[in-house]
Amino acid sequence: MRAIFNIARTTFGEAVRRKIILIILILGLAFIIITPGLGILSPRSERAAVTSLTLGLIQMTSALLAITLTIYLVPNEIDRRTIYTILCKPVRRYQFIWGKYLGAVATIGLMLLMMTLVLLAVFAFQFNDRGFNAAEAAELAKAPLMFFFQMSLLAAVAMFFSVWTSPIVNFFLTSGTYIAGTVFNGVFETLKESRSTSPILRALSEAVQAILPNFGRFQVQNAAVNPGQVIQSEAVYFGTAIGYALLYIVVMISLASVLFENREV
Amino acid sequence: MGAAIEIIDLVKTYKTRNNKVNVVDHINLEVNEGEIFGFLGPNGAGKTTTIKILLGIIYQNSGIARVLGKEVGDMQIHREIAYLPEKPYYYEHMTGIEILQFYASLFGNIPKEKCQQLLERVNLANDSTKTISQYSKGMQQRIGLASSLLNDPRLLFLDEPTAGLDPIAHIEIRDLILGFRDEGKTVFISSHELSDVERICDRVAIINKGKIEMQGRLEDLLRGGRYEITASGVPEELGRKVEGKDWIVSFAQDRLIVDMPDSDSPNELMQSIIAAKGSILSVIPRRKRLEDLFVETVRNKEVSK
Repeated sequence: MRAIFNIARTTFGEAVRRKIILIILILGLAFIIITPGLGILSPRSERAAVTSLTLGLIQMTSALLAITLTIYLVPNEIDRRTIYTILCKPVRRYQFIWGKYLGAVATIGLMLLMMTLVLLAVFAFQFNDRGFNAAEAAELAKAPLMFFFQMSLLAAVAMFFSVWTSPIVNFFLTSGTYIAGTVFNGVFETLKESRSTSPILRALSEAVQAILPNFGRFQVQNAAVNPGQVIQSEAVYFGTAIGYALLYIVVMISLASVLFENREV
Repeated sequence: MGAAIEIIDLVKTYKTRNNKVNVVDHINLEVNEGEIFGFLGPNGAGKTTTIKILLGIIYQNSGIARVLGKEVGDMQIHREIAYLPEKPYYYEHMTGIEILQFYASLFGNIPKEKCQQLLERVNLANDSTKTISQYSKGMQQRIGLASSLLNDPRLLFLDEPTAGLDPIAHIEIRDLILGFRDEGKTVFISSHELSDVERICDRVAIINKGKIEMQGRLEDLLRGGRYEITASGVPEELGRKVEGKDWIVSFAQDRLIVDMPDSDSPNELMQSIIAAKGSILSVIPRRKRLEDLFVETVRNKEVSK
């Protein structure tokens, strides 16, 4: 455990200093700050539009951060030969993979926290006169909390690909999986439930749905954007989503570890 | 003393587009405990691949590799060995002391004072709070060596430890490696710096295209030197006639330089030069150098092919 923790800590220290990561974060923060000014362009209520836009921005920025950060974690260590100085110590490969992954997750967590704090500050400033209070802030923060688990899952997918593909291929594979897992799960769900779907297509939809990570499970912006939309039981909703993420992450990182065990670096 | 490294009929094959290539081709090697062993070869000869197999980073296709009496892959070995790769990168945001603490933490039971002691040993105590990005190449190599000593290893693998260093840093690293021998550590060095290897190694092996071409004690391998005779005022008629087995003769205008094995007597040639009214400028006995042996071994292989 100590080896995993120390590798994670070093990975975090290295990651938060990477220029590309900082640039993405700064751009994300800048957009979050200027977005309230764009709310007036929306025909919907200003608050709902701003909430929708800023949460979308946070999600997009953190997805970009998670992918950009994770796809280089293992290849960089191999290119720079740092991996040899670690693996020649009494460190198992699975400890290395878990350490790198958890370092990435810690970085994503910090970046998300910063974006959330800026978001709350912007809301407090913008909507102070319209009753933006602590309860609403807590409600708003639920979405970034779920993004954290969503991005941790995305990072696990990127980590899985990173042990056997190049960073460029990994970028497209992970991005593709994210888009498919966010957008197409609904399509597969419809196909599965439709009576006109052939049995083969239904079976295929079920199989793809079982394998493809369902990133749609972590969407709570709708409730934030449309206050009328209520989740029946928040505890169950969040609990299942987080449990799903954790289970999927364990499977992905374990698979990555098995593949990496046999990889010649 | 037992064998620190034992390699028996080791093969490592890589697939290329059209065929399979044995990067390490049925090699046999034994390194005794307490010796400094030089593993030499041109680029792509299979040196680093062999080291990576011994470290358990890559896997052999066949053959046996044992380190400190255990089959490679045994995690216990990793507590007793150290590896310094060629031009390693260290996390640049960390300071010298933090790097050592990080690597120490991977062992789990190394006291913090050890890091400070090692910084003093490699002469970096005053730079311990500087970040690695502020370190020169020589300092980075010294911090690498310090990190290699954290677990007080019985066996060190050093891959090109003096490559790209300035002369002062070169000497510092060389002296540190020599110090390892005094402590009874086994050192396995892969290097192109043949003058260093010649000075510090007890035994060497030359690998070329995956095969061990030669191995043995340096003093045995370098037996047999050469003479270099330089003369001026040598008539062209004599200059063109000078020849001998394994002689290297250069003659331009009236200046003659002959490089001959010391198994041949230089007297006859010198007498011929004096008889032809030439002047002997110098006769330099030169002991065989590792560089000569290396070039000879690698070139002979090329010629025989």
